[in-house]
Amino acid sequence: MTDTDDILRVNDLSTRFFTEQGQVNAVDELELRIERGEVFGIVGESGSGKSVTARSVIDLIDAPGEITDGEIWFDDAELAETVREDSPDAVDGSFVDLLSVSPAVRQSLRGTSFSMIFQDPESSFNPSLTVGEQLAEAVEVQRRASANPRSTKAKTDSAEYSFGNLLLSTVLPSQQFVTEESRERAIELLELVGIPDPVERAGEYPHEYSGGMLQRAMIAQALAGEPDVLIADEPTTALDVTIQAQILDLLDDLQTETGMTILLITHNLGVVARMCDRVGVMYAGEIVERGTLEDVFDDHVHPYTEGLLGSIPELEGANGQLEPIGGNVPSLLDHEMEDRCHFADRCPMAMEDCLDHPPEFDATGSEAHTVRCVLATRSYTERDALPPNYFGDEERPAGDKHAEPDRSDGEQPAERTQTTISDAGGESR
Amino acid sequence: MSSDDNRATSSADAGLVTGIGTDTPDGEPLVRVENLKKYFWENDSLLDRLLGDEPVAVQAVDGVSFEIHEGETLGLVGESGCGKSTTGETLLRLQEPTDGRVEFGGTNVYEMAGSDLTAFRRDAQVVFQDPFSSLDPRMTIGDIVQQPLDIHDVGADEERRERVRDLLERVGLSVNQLDRYPHEFSGGQRQRIGIARALALEPEFLVLDEPTSALDVSVQAQVLNLLEDLQAEFDLTYLLISHDLSVIRHICDRVAVMYLGEIVEIGPVEELFGDPKHPYTKALLESVPRATTDERERDRETLAGDVPSPRDPPSGCRFRTRCPAVIPPEELDIDQETYRELMTVRERIESRDISLETVGGDDQFTVEDGSIPEADVPSFVAALKHRLFDDPLPPHHDEMCLRIESTAVNRV
Ligand code: SF4
Ligand code: SF4
Repeated sequence: MTDTDDILRVNDLSTRFFTEQGQVNAVDELELRIERGEVFGIVGESGSGKSVTARSVIDLIDAPGEITDGEIWFDDAELAETVREDSPDAVDGSFVDLLSVSPAVRQSLRGTSFSMIFQDPESSFNPSLTVGEQLAEAVEVQRRASANPRSTKAKTDSAEYSFGNLLLSTVLPSQQFVTEESRERAIELLELVGIPDPVERAGEYPHEYSGGMLQRAMIAQALAGEPDVLIADEPTTALDVTIQAQILDLLDDLQTETGMTILLITHNLGVVARMCDRVGVMYAGEIVERGTLEDVFDDHVHPYTEGLLGSIPELEGANGQLEPIGGNVPSLLDHEMEDRCHFADRCPMAMEDCLDHPPEFDATGSEAHTVRCVLATRSYTERDALPPNYFGDEERPAGDKHAEPDRSDGEQPAERTQTTISDAGGESR
Repeated sequence: MSSDDNRATSSADAGLVTGIGTDTPDGEPLVRVENLKKYFWENDSLLDRLLGDEPVAVQAVDGVSFEIHEGETLGLVGESGCGKSTTGETLLRLQEPTDGRVEFGGTNVYEMAGSDLTAFRRDAQVVFQDPFSSLDPRMTIGDIVQQPLDIHDVGADEERRERVRDLLERVGLSVNQLDRYPHEFSGGQRQRIGIARALALEPEFLVLDEPTSALDVSVQAQVLNLLEDLQAEFDLTYLLISHDLSVIRHICDRVAVMYLGEIVEIGPVEELFGDPKHPYTKALLESVPRATTDERERDRETLAGDVPSPRDPPSGCRFRTRCPAVIPPEELDIDQETYRELMTVRERIESRDISLETVGGDDQFTVEDGSIPEADVPSFVAALKHRLFDDPLPPHHDEMCLRIESTAVNRV
């Protein structure tokens, strides 16, 4: 398992939610390789499974969700050494499969190896403790964790200080655990994330912070344990655009400074372009196209990628009529998903071949460029195209006829002209 | 949207969908907003008054003026708290203004009564980000779209139902979904329903308040296209309120940029986006990450700091606390960058971001009545600078700093 410098290798990851309606395949046999020190973006619309993927990696899936299958190999020689004895199968060279080690070991990695930041920073702070106290506590927990040798025993002991606790900030107001050193470190962290006057700010409560400041403080909290991998789930979505720019600058600077790896989850292709080295486009629980920024933005093959890019109104220069993707995100209910390309019901190029679920094919461009679409291997021909209503009317809302500019003339304006003064309620006939 | 007095007065023109706006002579704007103000009062409850707390004005909208011409789309763009939504609601008279006037088709909206007001309520409609937040979730979408027709008593029953079917079809929903409930629809479909409802009374003017902000980008594109089609088809005039500059650019003819309750720049979209004049407009445009591969190399100047509170907006230019281009007063012989830093310090002291009590070591300075003894001023300034600037300023600037900062100190 060597040659590139991967820090994370996710194989065949499946995360399911067991709901009243049935089994939801939120993440479906997902593969992911993330190199040490890169910023990897996962972009997708709501329901694509991008956040569930992120949460699966850091083991934050709650019932009714469950990781049902897969391996998450993490490169950490030291961890590999300590785990080898107890679970030899979970180790391969310097890699450890996080899904085969004990939950306690997994938990111990949160904060020190993996950290996560979210869209909404309020969830990461306890409103009744000062920001400084909470950061100092985070520092303290990480100190203890790294002071303990990584034995399974020690892990279990420290579980009570786990990242999960920090995350929910249900931690007891336990100043007695916090040393002066941790307090100083907390202030350093606030300074690191660009909070002006950190000494003063450390003594304030979360509600005294603006949204942008609290976002910074959450980043400080996530950095307390000097994690190798930072998972950022829509970190700027709730922010105004000038504040978003500040936070992206900050993440960029911190990444350069610390060399940490970032897995960035976003719906915003602009944020991807600003931050990422490589990107995967997610749709219906799968990565449908991935590669370098150039591969995906300039050289994409998948009609969904094309549709996403065609949907964004341009800031510089008008781009005429937008070309949206028709229809809606599909149901991910297992019993409703067919074994075909999941995009076929919305794809303008759907063909007979697409009724077999396509694997990931290599595509032109960089070596990293792959695409889950038959168009990587053949070109579109009308002869093989599926008939227009192949998937039934239900899946193609009539509304999208208006996406075609030439459909809106004709009988409709007549309705307006006839329904002026004398005609009641806009009735035309 | 509609009030009871509409119901009372509308029977007079039942079946007549006329618009007061149609009387507008050529060249006159459909909507004219003059010096519109909307303040909200905090600490204004009886209890607050008993406790002697002074009411605090939140200057949500503070003197905006603009015109919207028939058939055009004016964009109102700005960050949260800039007052753009309040402007939209106030000009529709969904909120009473604090001051200023709004004319619709030449008539003052705030003086309308009776059939004029009813006609205005028909002619001017609104689409919100979530069209159902204010509606009964137990209404079917057929009822929801038909409700305005019922309230305004337009047409006979069968005609209303026919009209609802036409509308739903027009916005791209199928007629057999008429009896379903809002929660059964996706975000994009719900927004289509909201649009159908807004169109039911054949309005001339629509305020679109963040109509696509809750939608995924592919669905947003569908709705934007629909709005464009409908505008062309029904000669609609739009006021589009959005925080999304790309959406504004795509849809609008002209755009007004708001900051802290004021319009800082207004102009044709091409001009304003191509050659923004106001430093805030520039910064706003530069802040948007572009979805292109050269985004990482793009030169961008981002704004520092947060938007100040509209409870206590900065004196003078409201943007001065963040403006990268702020100009030093003539009598100060100081370069622009240094002045920017000094302004930032002053702002931070004024906003009590920096507490003067904590300058210097423990108890090095005693702050009494918000001021420090004259004799301590030079060392105080030195300590403050030490704390705030990474690089010490050249000695030449000491005197300047002293002047500006000591005024600030005295004011605190
Ligand atoms: S596999 Fe077929 S249906 Fe799927 S995206 Fe490619 S062309 Fe479209
Ligand atoms: S601070 Fe001065 S330069 Fe900056 S926006 Fe205001 S008036 Fe213009």
